[in-house]
Amino acid sequence: MRTQRIVWNSRTGWSSPTEETGDISLVLYFGTREPLSCGTRYEELRGLFPHAHIMGCSTGGQIDGDDVSDDEIVAVAVSFDATRLKLCREDIADPQRSRACGETLAQALKADDLAGVFVLSDGLNVNGSELVAGFSKVLGDDIPLTGGLAGDGARFSETLVSADCAPRARTVAALGFYGPAVRVGHGSAGGWDQFGPRRQVTRSVGNILFELDGEPALDLYERYLGPEESKGLPSSALLFPIQVYDLENPDSAVVRTVLSVDRGARSMTFAGDIPQGWTAQLMRGNLDRLAAGAADAARQARNGVRAGPSEQRLSILVSCIGRRLLMGQRAIEEVEAAGAELGADTIRLGFYSYGEISPHAKSGQCELHNQTMTVTTLAEVA
Amino acid sequence: MHKLFAKQLSKVSDATGAVDIARLGQLVSDAYEEFDRDRRRTDRSMSLMIEELDGVQRNLERTVAERTKELQAREAELQAQNLRIDAALSNMSQGLVMYDADARLVLCNQRFITMYRLKAEDVRPGISLRDIIRLRADNGTFAGNPDHYADDLVARIKAGHATHHFAELDDGRTIAIARQRMPGGGWVATHEDVTERRQAEMKIAHMARHDALTDLPNRVLLRERLSEALAHVEHGQRLAVLYLDLDQFKNVNDTLGHPTGDELLRVVAGRLRACLGDTDTISRVGGDEFCIIQTDIRDATDAEKLARRLAEAVQAPYDLHGHLVMIDASIGIALAPNDGTDVNELLKNADMALYGAKADGRGVYRFFEPKMDARMKARRVLELALRRAFENNEFELYYQPVLNLDTNEVRCCEALLRWRHPERGMVPPAEFIPVAEDIGLIVALGEWVIRQACADAAQWPGEVCVAVNLSPTQLLAKSLLPAVLNALASSRLSPSRLELEITEAVLLQNSDVTLRTLHQLRSLGIRISMDDFGTGYSSLSYLRSFPFDKIKIDRCFISGLGASSESDAIVQAVAGLADSLSMTTTAEGVETREQLDQVRKLGCTDVQGFYYSPPVPAAELNRLLAGQGEVKIAAA
Repeated sequence: MRTQRIVWNSRTGWSSPTEETGDISLVLYFGTREPLSCGTRYEELRGLFPHAHIMGCSTGGQIDGDDVSDDEIVAVAVSFDATRLKLCREDIADPQRSRACGETLAQALKADDLAGVFVLSDGLNVNGSELVAGFSKVLGDDIPLTGGLAGDGARFSETLVSADCAPRARTVAALGFYGPAVRVGHGSAGGWDQFGPRRQVTRSVGNILFELDGEPALDLYERYLGPEESKGLPSSALLFPIQVYDLENPDSAVVRTVLSVDRGARSMTFAGDIPQGWTAQLMRGNLDRLAAGAADAARQARNGVRAGPSEQRLSILVSCIGRRLLMGQRAIEEVEAAGAELGADTIRLGFYSYGEISPHAKSGQCELHNQTMTVTTLAEVA
Repeated sequence: MHKLFAKQLSKVSDATGAVDIARLGQLVSDAYEEFDRDRRRTDRSMSLMIEELDGVQRNLERTVAERTKELQAREAELQAQNLRIDAALSNMSQGLVMYDADARLVLCNQRFITMYRLKAEDVRPGISLRDIIRLRADNGTFAGNPDHYADDLVARIKAGHATHHFAELDDGRTIAIARQRMPGGGWVATHEDVTERRQAEMKIAHMARHDALTDLPNRVLLRERLSEALAHVEHGQRLAVLYLDLDQFKNVNDTLGHPTGDELLRVVAGRLRACLGDTDTISRVGGDEFCIIQTDIRDATDAEKLARRLAEAVQAPYDLHGHLVMIDASIGIALAPNDGTDVNELLKNADMALYGAKADGRGVYRFFEPKMDARMKARRVLELALRRAFENNEFELYYQPVLNLDTNEVRCCEALLRWRHPERGMVPPAEFIPVAEDIGLIVALGEWVIRQACADAAQWPGEVCVAVNLSPTQLLAKSLLPAVLNALASSRLSPSRLELEITEAVLLQNSDVTLRTLHQLRSLGIRISMDDFGTGYSSLSYLRSFPFDKIKIDRCFISGLGASSESDAIVQAVAGLADSLSMTTTAEGVETREQLDQVRKLGCTDVQGFYYSPPVPAAELNRLLAGQGEVKIAAA
């Protein structure tokens, strides 16, 4: 497997590929919504790599090696020696159809030699947990499923996904890796701390949270954010993710991020389900621990790939927009920490998403995560 | 240099190394603001969290306080409840003890402790059943092997058997123990001292089978014992049943009172019991009736010996509170298997034998004879017939004339009762008179005789009298005087023409009452004669006690006339005695001319006998009297 990094910025356009482009079979690209929405970037990439599968999405920021940027589009072009690829795409009109959509895509990709799946999904009109559940139902827990939900900075108004087409909203794309040569490693970690009293989810429907301990959830958040930062809802709610778990089954703990708020209903919509009756606790972020979490995720992914030292690796980092919001300029710390763990023999790129898809570090079951750094490492063995 | 600043610098430097200061300033300033925001956010979070946690804590405290109060109230209630239970446990009449599934003591009450003479400090919760039994074995309230008992008890409880049994303690107490398994494996036992109740029960059981006065077995127990004993008879053994009846017991009761009568019975019971062997049984089956089962006999002689011993024991005098009492016993004996192998049959036959003994004169013993049954039946038939006879006018009066030796005329006729049975014909008076006495018919019969005799005599010519026999029973009857008066009135017979003949026996009992009646009769003008003179014990002394008008010399003296000189002397003496006392003498049973001449010579005034005339029916007598024809006149 061979990889090349290429970038685009508004001044200089795409950087030139430095190597052979003939056998490039995959291009992944991530950028903020503006430069993507017109579709031209896709056309340009298509021109550069006529035979490749081109897959990408809009973001809340790009990760490029040790850097985090908003202005540039980062991309990687990959040529595989012995690995077959298949890229599928589904439109999704209604979040209620999320599970069915996952099942459909999984059916399309399913094969005996399927070794891994990478998903990029619309970030605002999809129930991420349901989507993942649909995939899991068809593929089971043995096929690693990683990926993320597309973002839209701190605006939360529209997200785009591109899969051998111009980027568009309400789309879910899934890329399958086939063959015995490919190796997929993955890791996921958070680093947020729980704080304050445990609360009970007293009213919720799916991924919409209405009440905690009988009090409207939005009231609680506005109290903690204070008047200034409340103005920045829903994105400011990302500063206080919520951890939910079933008391009977503590290993079920997941962290959820806010996607939107309804000031009238005093409700908050999260990127994944908030089951009624579960226990909830607010979390807060500490820079050092978040960075340590990122390093942890990177380590898991690296250890998951058994390949020779001479082989090139590709690491895709999908981190949560909430982490970036909290760390601000210091978000580079987590990226550097991850990079340190991943090592020099891998190309690193990624994006800040509205949700991360990865097997659960403890249970192994694939889930939608929030507020995590999720790392997928790919390599081929001879 | 701070890492971030280095990054910022590199961001604002171009390829040549020129730094965009404005942009750098912006980035740095932004970074400061981010720090401030972060700090403020952190502070805010902390305060809010502390506040919330505080609230949570206060809630918790309040809840704890409420719960504590609840718990205290509940505890107080529990305590009160425990006190009540303790009070109930301490005061209940039974001992109560509870063990857990491992046979260790959970609790017991004071009654249990004292019942088994244990000490409270020895019997603490947790002590094993085995140890408690051992303590009891040490202090004598348990007999047996403590380990076996404990093991067995635990096994039974496990098997689910509720146990109920009585424990007999060394000191004579009886404890009723009831055990009930509890869910969970332990059990509760109640121990109740039922000594008194048991004794009462035993007493009642005893009383059901024993006579209250003498403490001898009663009829129920007798039948049980007899039944058991008869079972052995099947294997070749023999036994005897003796029915014993006390003669004259009724007299003692009547004359000395019931307390003395009871005392007599008790003494008799004791004496009889002393005559028996270990395997024999004596029971009281009636007022003065006892029944003895004599087992293990070889033959009738063994029974006979016992009967004699029993009779002797009864006959020995009794000193009852200073009264000297003598009684006799009649005994009937039936043997098994000869006289029966069935309880009812044997008892019936012994009873019949007793009846036979009494009929034979009392104070004797009789063995059962098969004929007794027949005799008994015959006797009953006779009784029935007698009663019917009275209703059916089967009785007749015959008359035997008494000739006066001076006038050679009939002075008087003795009325004699005859019974013409429709089938049997004439039934001998000797047979039916005693039966009439026994069945209480004699008074009514006697009164009929008087009435009939007076009526018949009223038809006779002249001053011929009629003589009627009176029995002791009749003289004691209150109805005698009115009956005599009625008879005289309705027949219009002059009282002087009526004679009443009585024997010595009449004066034997209740002589005061009898004498009074006789005087009353005599005061009417009726004449009283002493019949069968010389045959009783003290004929002479009776002459003193009452002014008789006539003496009838018994036939046994007449028949001896001429043969023995004693008879002559006696007759002469009696005739002389009577004469000096202004009494007439009638010689009974004169059957020959020689006897007639002799009695005339010896001084008798009248004669009666077959020589002149046998007893004849009234019609024939009338003819006789009218004609005076067949009366033989003696030569001077």
